[in-house]
Amino acid sequence: MVGTLNRAMEESSEPQLDAKSKVTNQLIDFQWKLGMAVSSDSCRSLKYPYVAVMLKVADHSGQVKNKSFEMTIPQFQNFYRQFKEIAAIIETV
Amino acid sequence: MAAELESSKCLSGLLSGLAQDTFYGHPGITEELLRSQLYPEVSLEEFRPFLAKMKGILKSIASADMDFNQLEAFLTAQTKKQGGITSEQAAVISKFWKSHKTKIRESLMNQSCWDRGLRGLSWRVDGKSQSRHSAQIHTPVAIMELEIGRSGQIFLDLRWDCDLITFIAHCKLKIS
Repeated sequence: MVGTLNRAMEESSEPQLDAKSKVTNQLIDFQWKLGMAVSSDSCRSLKYPYVAVMLKVADHSGQVKNKSFEMTIPQFQNFYRQFKEIAAIIETV
Repeated sequence: MAAELESSKCLSGLLSGLAQDTFYGHPGITEELLRSQLYPEVSLEEFRPFLAKMKGILKSIASADMDFNQLEAFLTAQTKKQGGITSEQAAVISKFWKSHKTKIRESLMNQSCWDRGLRGLSWRVDGKSQSRHSAQIHTPVAIMELEIGRSGQIFLDLRWDCDLITFIAHCKLKIS
């Protein structure tokens, strides 16, 4: 009975968030730039500094794709803090 | 113009409502809602152009990111215009901009990153684990979920051999 239950769980089609799952992507490269948005159609005087990030990731099939996003400076500082926290925890696991 | 519209009593509330709608993107702030809450004695026909005028003024100030000198010059010009604003109203608008400027600017910045802004970040560290098939499935790994824009989402599996922390630290040094 227990054996059957374990097999059923392993064959479950629910996305499992583990390293070999079909949901997560492997991070291959991380590029960044610091930009300044000067003006836009909705705001003439924007003066908005931002960090633009381009992630190169490989999905479960090995296909490589690029994902880009932007962060404000405070968001970037929080992003950095989160990574430091992860690094600290990984050392202890 | 109705006497109620000339008074500056409810103008502060009106500007807050306009900011909610125009900058913070809160739904449901209709002109009828603002009228009935703040200027119930005024007809919709009279209220509409008044609302449009105040909205235009607020948008101009925000769009130009006016400093206090520019703001004063701008509002003074508005008081001298035909069908402009009263000096009491100018004072209310000035006070409103001074206290809401930072938050409005922040909203404008968020709006300008369209669908590429980082909306959320969460992560989890998975420890060593085992199964009956293998002694160890994987060593510690961090899984990060990034929410990008309104509907984008990506899960990252972060291995510490890619030295991501160095990239990020390098980035931080350049920026701060």
